[in-house]
Amino acid sequence: MAISVQIPTSLRAECQGSSHVEISATTISEVLSQLQAEHPQLFRCICDETGAVRRHINLFVNDALIHRQNGLGTKLNPKDTLFIMTAVSGG
Amino acid sequence: MADRVVLCIGTKKGLFVAEANKSRRRFNLRGPFGSGVAVYSAMIDTRRATRIYASSCNAWFGMKLLVSTDLGNKFKETKSTPAFPGDDGRSLANIWSLEPGGGSKELWAGVEPAALFRSEDNGNSWEMVSGISNHKHSKEWQPGAGGLCLHTIVRDGNRIHLGISTGGHYLSEDGGATFEASNEGVGAGFFPNPYPEFGQCVHKIARHPDAPGRLYMQNHGGWPERPGIGVLRSDDYGHTWESIAEGLPSDFGFPIVVHPHDPETIYVVPLEPSTRTCPEGKPAVWRSTNGGRKWKKLTKGLPKHDGYFTVLRDAMCTDSLDAAGVYFGTTTGQLWMGHDGGDEWSCLFDSLPPINCVKAAIV
Repeated sequence: MAISVQIPTSLRAECQGSSHVEISATTISEVLSQLQAEHPQLFRCICDETGAVRRHINLFVNDALIHRQNGLGTKLNPKDTLFIMTAVSGG
Repeated sequence: MADRVVLCIGTKKGLFVAEANKSRRRFNLRGPFGSGVAVYSAMIDTRRATRIYASSCNAWFGMKLLVSTDLGNKFKETKSTPAFPGDDGRSLANIWSLEPGGGSKELWAGVEPAALFRSEDNGNSWEMVSGISNHKHSKEWQPGAGGLCLHTIVRDGNRIHLGISTGGHYLSEDGGATFEASNEGVGAGFFPNPYPEFGQCVHKIARHPDAPGRLYMQNHGGWPERPGIGVLRSDDYGHTWESIAEGLPSDFGFPIVVHPHDPETIYVVPLEPSTRTCPEGKPAVWRSTNGGRKWKKLTKGLPKHDGYFTVLRDAMCTDSLDAAGVYFGTTTGQLWMGHDGGDEWSCLFDSLPPINCVKAAIV
């Protein structure tokens, strides 16, 4: 089951300029595992070395934050879109 | 022939590189590199063809290490950055110090949370130095205001001095295999025990390469009930320390720097302890030419009033020309140069982002 992972402009250099990648996965954890295998530079920008999603990165399935669902165990359905978004933070 | 002065200026919004000829009358600025991302550490490596390294601490996407082989005209990322082993549980938050190692391609990096990493291939792969990173004290270290960081690496052959905030001074005499807390005489104002074995908030350690047994330390001072613990000297390779703060308006500050041609000459920037800014808004660098026994206030050219900035721990350095230049950057984005060892000051750049670190080299 393939879902679309949308890549923010600021991270496209980490995956050869692609705006999205197709990943076959049924959970967020599986998506991240595949990103680690296929796009390691992109993965390192999303997760730290413990595997945790970085503090200022938000992952949305369609328009729902995964933190408000089941976190990395959130189930994915066909045609879902996973958005990688940078949180509003700065100064 | 080395005929240019290069400055690396790490700021809250990226790295700038400034270059001048030996007259240092005019510096040309380029950058920012790693634009928009804080740079806490930089290193100008002149051991072979000059390389410039800079850490790039991206709050969103993690750490990167930038490297330039063309004097800072363009930068690329190294192949990797320091990373804790997968089962360690810690994750890299920042790189606070970069220093050359013994081998020509060897680099050392002090990081947050406090740990030490070593690379033998110009920063393209890294190995954690477990002797300090997994030290038996490490779980008891606490973060200071800047985080729990290993910010100072001073190497002298197999002798390695580390500054950790807050952990204190750690010394290895076997090339980094093992480390011991070495804080006799180093005080702490935030513990009931004024002289604990470890846990001090060391701000910076410096020495001259010709006098490896003499070290200077800017420690976290400013405690009215424990005056003088902020500025210290060791004459026995860092095994014991004594105060040299007498004569200074405050023993609180961040950087401490040794003159490039005289191990007895040192510089500090005393700050008002509660605000971390220049006392009474009157900036001054203080210089001692006798190892801290007496101090002289240097103000010529600096603002006479309304100067409420901070100079951070790595934001002061010297070049190595005969009439040495002393440089410091401020949290208000000014880069100052002290001519003739600090006798007179001029502002090289006055509107940069807040400055974290300044490094100088003759190339």
